[in-house]
Amino acid sequence: MFRVILFSQWKWSRLIVVAGSIAGFALPIISMQGASADRGALQAQELLRAAQSWGTLYPVLAAALGLLVAIATWAADHRGRHIHALTLPLPRWRYVLLRFGAGVTLLAGPMLAVVLGAVLATVTATIPPGLQGYPIALALRFAIAVLVAYAVFFAISAGTARTAGIILGAIGALILIQILATLANVDLDLWGTLQVVMLNWPGPFAVFTGRWMLVDV
Amino acid sequence: MSYAIEVESLRFRAGSFELKDVDLHVPTGSIYGFLGPNGSGKTTTMRLVLGLLRPLAGRIAVLGHAMPEDGPRVLARVGYVPEQPHLDSTLTVREIITFQAAFYPTWHRAVAEDLLRRFELDERRLFARLSKGQKAKLMILLALAQRGELLVLDEPTDGLDPVVRRDILAALLEYVSLRKATIFISSHLVHELERFCDWVAVMDDGRVVTEVPMERLKQGTKRLIVSGAPPSERTGETPFVVLSRERANGATERWIVGEWEPEMTAYFEGVGASLVDVIDLDLEDGFVELLRSFRAARG
Amino acid sequence: MFYDVDSRSPVPLYAQIAERVRLAIATGALGSADALPSVRQLATELRVNPATVVQAYRDLEAQGFVEIRHGAGTFVRELAPGRRARERSHQATALVRKLLADARRMGVSLAELQKAIEDEVGVKTP
Repeated sequence: MFRVILFSQWKWSRLIVVAGSIAGFALPIISMQGASADRGALQAQELLRAAQSWGTLYPVLAAALGLLVAIATWAADHRGRHIHALTLPLPRWRYVLLRFGAGVTLLAGPMLAVVLGAVLATVTATIPPGLQGYPIALALRFAIAVLVAYAVFFAISAGTARTAGIILGAIGALILIQILATLANVDLDLWGTLQVVMLNWPGPFAVFTGRWMLVDV
Repeated sequence: MSYAIEVESLRFRAGSFELKDVDLHVPTGSIYGFLGPNGSGKTTTMRLVLGLLRPLAGRIAVLGHAMPEDGPRVLARVGYVPEQPHLDSTLTVREIITFQAAFYPTWHRAVAEDLLRRFELDERRLFARLSKGQKAKLMILLALAQRGELLVLDEPTDGLDPVVRRDILAALLEYVSLRKATIFISSHLVHELERFCDWVAVMDDGRVVTEVPMERLKQGTKRLIVSGAPPSERTGETPFVVLSRERANGATERWIVGEWEPEMTAYFEGVGASLVDVIDLDLEDGFVELLRSFRAARG
Repeated sequence: MFYDVDSRSPVPLYAQIAERVRLAIATGALGSADALPSVRQLATELRVNPATVVQAYRDLEAQGFVEIRHGAGTFVRELAPGRRARERSHQATALVRKLLADARRMGVSLAELQKAIEDEVGVKTP
C-alpha cells in the first residue's frame, strides 16, 4: 500500500521535489563562491557576510518545500471530496500516516541534496584560518526545518475545511483579543508571548530563526 | 433470510434536506433496485450505508457488521461506484488500477485485465482525459475486479449513451452469474432496472415510499376501468391500494391501483360497481402514479 | 432464437424465456442433446437477472424438456416422438387463442375472421 501511495504522491510533487533538490544542492555551493586560496584576512569577513546573507534562504526553502509538498499531498483528496480515501478499506488514521510517511520519504531528496551540497562546498572551498565549516549541522537543521514545516502544513491540509476554519478562527480570535486589550490599555502582548514561546527553543518554530551559517567562527 | 444491508429507522439531516425513518432490507444475493427522482435522498442513503456519513439516529448493518463502526473491515468486501467520478485525475488508467489493487487482498488481476480489454480502455490515458463513459467503465472495472460480495452502485449509467450502458450492465450481470453477490443499484431510469431487479425500493423526498419484490410492483400496479363506482368516502376498505381516481367519460372512472391481485375483482361486485377492464401498466407509469399519490397523501 | 424479452409484458421474464426455448424445441431449431446458452451468456445477452434464466431452465427441466448437468450446462433431452408434435400443437392453440381474443376485442366476428383466413391461405377450410 505504501508503495502505491508513494508513487501517487511522487506524481503530484515530483516537480517541487526535484526543483527543491537542485536549489538545496546549489545554495551552499553558491554561498561559498567567494572562498579561494589567494585572498587574505579581509576575505574572512566577506565570507561570513556571504554565508549569512545566503543563509537566509535556507529557512525559506525549507518552509516552501514543507508547504508545497503538504498541499500536493492533499489536493487530489480535497478535489474528490475525500470519497475515494474514505471508501478504501483502511482506517483513516492509517491512511493519513501512510501519506505523511510518503511525503517525508520524498522530502529526503532535497534534504540529502543539502547534505551533499554543503559537504561539497566546505570541502572544495578554501576556508580562511579562524573559521570552520559546519555542513552537517546546517544540513541537519535544514532537515528538521523541512519536517516541521511539512508536519504543520500537512496537519492543516489533512483536516476538513472545518478544521482549517477552526485554526483560522483561533488566529482571528487572538488578533481580536489583542486589539481589545490594546484599546482597553491592558498590558497584554499576545503575539510577543506567542513568538517567544514558539520561536525560542524549545518552541517548535525555533529552528527557523537565527542565523544559518555554513561557515562560522 | 440474511440481509446484505439492513437499515432501520435511519435519520439524517444536512442543511434543509432530511432523511426520515428510512427502512431498507437488501436480501443477500439479490439485485436490489433503488428508485427515486433526483434529490430524493438515494445518494445520501448510500453514503450513510458505506459509512461516509454519520446518521443522526437509526441502525445500519452491512454484511452483518454495524456501520460506520466496522467501516474498513466491511469496505474490503464492498465495491462502490459513486455518482461522480472520484478518482485521481493525474494518474493513468493503469496507475489507478495498480493503486486500487494494493488495497484489496481479494483483487483479481485477470478480471481487471479482461475488463480493460473488453471496455477498450487505453491504460496509458490520464483519468482526466477519459470520456464520461470511459470513466464510468473504469470505476465499474475497479469494483468488479475487487471481487466483493456486495456492489453498491449509485446511478452507474446516468448520462451515458446506450452502447456504454449495455456494456456496463452486461458486465454487472456477468459478475452476478459467476459469483454469489448482492447488487444494490440506484437509478432514476425505471425501465432499465425493471429487467433485472428482484427487489425495488422507491424513495421520495427523504422517505421510503415502498419496498417490494419487483414482480409485485410490476404486476400489482394496474389501471382499472370502473363503472358505477361509489364516491371516495363510501368505498370502504379496499383489498388493493388506490393510487388515484379520475373520471373518464359518463359514469366510468379510471383508477390506478397498487398491489392488485386477480381475485380482487370480487370487491367491485361487493360495492355494486362493475369492473370493465384491467389494464397492465408500464412500470414507469405505475412509478409516476405511486409518487403522485404518495406526495398527495403527505399533503 | 433469443431475440429480446419484453420487460413490459405481464408475462414474467422467466416464463418468456422458457416459452422461447419450448418453441425452439417444437420447431426443431433445438435438437436433442443440443446445449442451451449458458446462464451467464443468456443473462448478459438479454440483460436480465441470471436468477431469471436459472428459473426458466429449472421450469423447463421440471417439464421434462431439458436436463441441467451441473458444471457442464443445460441440454435438451431426448424427447419422445410425440412430444414435439404435442408442443407444436400447444403453440398453435396459444396462437389461436390470442387471435380470437384480439378479434373479440376489436369486434371482428368469427365469420369475418374465417373469411380473412381463407383469403390469406387461398384454400377453403372445411
